Amino acid sequence: MSIQFYQLLLLLLLREALCVLLPCKPCWRTCLSQQTIPHTTSSGGDSEGKSKSADKSSRTRRLKHDIIEAVNELIQDITTCHEQIAEQAIEHIHQNEVILTLGSSKTVLEFLYAAKEKRRSFRVFVAEGAPRYQGHLLAKELVARGLQTTLITDSAVFAIISRVNMVIVGAHAVMANGGVIAPVGLNMVALAAQKHAVPFVVLAGSHKLCPLYPHNPEVLLNELRSPSELLDFGEFSDCLDFGSGTGSPLLHVVNPAFDYVPPKLVSLFITDTGGHNPSYMYRLIADYYSADDLVVRGRIASGN
Amino acid sequence: MWWRSPSFILDKQQSDTVPHQRNPRDTLPLPSPPPFSMADTLQNPNPENNISAYYQTRAAHHAVVTGDWLAQAQAAIGRDPDDSTDTTVATVAGKPFSVIDEFNSWRKQPELAEAVAAIRALAAVIRNCQATTMMELEIELKKSSDSLKSGDTTSISLTAGCDLFMRYVTRTSALEYEDFDSAKSRLIERAEKFGEISCKARRIIAMLSQDFIFDGCTILVHGFSRVVFEVLKTAAQSKKLFRVFCTEGRPDRSGLRLSNELAKLDVPVKLLIDSAVAYTMDEVDMVFVGADGVVESGGIINMMGTFQIALVAHSMNKPVYVAAESYKFARLYPLDQKDMVPALCPIDFGVPIPSKVEVETSARDYTPPQYLTLLFTDLGVLTPSVVSDELIQLYL
Repeated sequence: MSIQFYQLLLLLLLREALCVLLPCKPCWRTCLSQQTIPHTTSSGGDSEGKSKSADKSSRTRRLKHDIIEAVNELIQDITTCHEQIAEQAIEHIHQNEVILTLGSSKTVLEFLYAAKEKRRSFRVFVAEGAPRYQGHLLAKELVARGLQTTLITDSAVFAIISRVNMVIVGAHAVMANGGVIAPVGLNMVALAAQKHAVPFVVLAGSHKLCPLYPHNPEVLLNELRSPSELLDFGEFSDCLDFGSGTGSPLLHVVNPAFDYVPPKLVSLFITDTGGHNPSYMYRLIADYYSADDLVVRGRIASGN
Repeated sequence: MWWRSPSFILDKQQSDTVPHQRNPRDTLPLPSPPPFSMADTLQNPNPENNISAYYQTRAAHHAVVTGDWLAQAQAAIGRDPDDSTDTTVATVAGKPFSVIDEFNSWRKQPELAEAVAAIRALAAVIRNCQATTMMELEIELKKSSDSLKSGDTTSISLTAGCDLFMRYVTRTSALEYEDFDSAKSRLIERAEKFGEISCKARRIIAMLSQDFIFDGCTILVHGFSRVVFEVLKTAAQSKKLFRVFCTEGRPDRSGLRLSNELAKLDVPVKLLIDSAVAYTMDEVDMVFVGADGVVESGGIINMMGTFQIALVAHSMNKPVYVAAESYKFARLYPLDQKDMVPALCPIDFGVPIPSKVEVETSARDYTPPQYLTLLFTDLGVLTPSVVSDELIQLYL
């Protein structure tokens, strides 16, 4: 399940909840009172009481309307980001190029397909992306759309990278410093690309921007999935027979879902607003997050 | 092919003939300098050597107590009561108020940052000002700010602090008020507020950097930065387990003082000589430094040795974190190490050096932004590329 799916779900739920809150006026009135006090200083006379309550209910509706509109805009952004990113494909993919990708990403699929539509002929190397092997699915879809595809293992990336013109990948999240939280294996690809001076391009919709600075991303921003994806439970229990003296198993199976790619390994971010340098990503954050939302203020309030 | 020409021989010959001409230009028109021996070193006109007053102050606050200093302090104690009554009498008896005196008296407090002392001095200027119109007040403020800045051209935070204060204060729409006194009191209020924000800056920075210090980490620090000390103190107080490698920080050896303070907080400290940084860098998890100034490119100007440490850390993939308050952001863009106002400080080698031998006495260096990972400021956590954006917002 992609992050997009979860975000869409959340926004749709939020919109439904807002519509349902229509009869519940008192709570809106209290939150609006701070807003309305400076505005209603001018109206005078006996009708003030009546006009105030009328004002408040109209303000309630206006506030709700504004919020629902904003939520709709966000939903729109998320659903159309693929097309906007794919529009930029022909600027980056040229004739007779070799593209490398790992795992499967809908954004990358649309991107490559858009270039194919514009009659660019290129080849794609897909690394399978163990342990989920989503690269297999991507390879099948690319072939279905008529692209020349080669499937390789993750270990073969370093061997193939010198023959590749560009690496194009998707992202799970983009941090404020330009670092990327990406499916596991992509840090290795990025390092290989840097060694052979191959551009490492990350496709990310602007809804994937996160205002945090990663201080321990390998641990804190990661997800450890079930070890059964690596090792069957049957084989795992065989290994448990050889426990150490205290009874704890000698074999540990770790299955992280994400990798952190530092900003210096990324050449370009292609977002729905255009192509950007990793050091520029902090500016896009200002468009989506208000300074009040950021962690600094919250900490100060609790700390002091 | 380009190679360096031995023009330094020519330069040296020229500089030998020039020094006696520099004296008249450097002396400041001070009303009457207080008879305090430390102040002689604090005030800049030391024309023979162009010694930086800023670094003298830092050395005075944080350096190791040497025998000479003790002797000076002893001698000063005898004259101290006279000095303090002198300044208080001065303000009461209508002696011309000198912003430099006020600044120096604030600067003596070791906990107070240079720029905050300047801000307090300028706030005092507003308070003691005899002007009756806003224009006059602004002109007086500008004059005091200029005299403070010219008193010590090497201190970046002083210049930046004065500039920011002027902008912050004169942006007040005092035109709303019809009488001058309420406008003046409003200005004083804003000035005090600015001083307070600057004081709180250290705590905000300490709060922001807590996440980056994890249990079991090793931190390398250089010299004595009060902001970095605050960061480490907060981490130690929240019971984090970490150890600190502290460089000695020649020539003022401020690292020794820092190691003392950290030992009091029960933080395991290891002292290194400045040359041992590369040797121990593989054990280090991160480098924390302060800054004397943050420049437009996102680089920092800091005590001599910072650039060296950043280079070593960068080559070994260790993050370099800078802790700096926002009033240190300056509108400078040095292109190389020599592109700044020279700030010199005397170096005591312990043995007499023959006069033919030149000594590099610069007190600071410039670290370019590509060697820095993140900056912790009271405006938030920033990457070096964000600094120029923030500068535009601060200054416009």
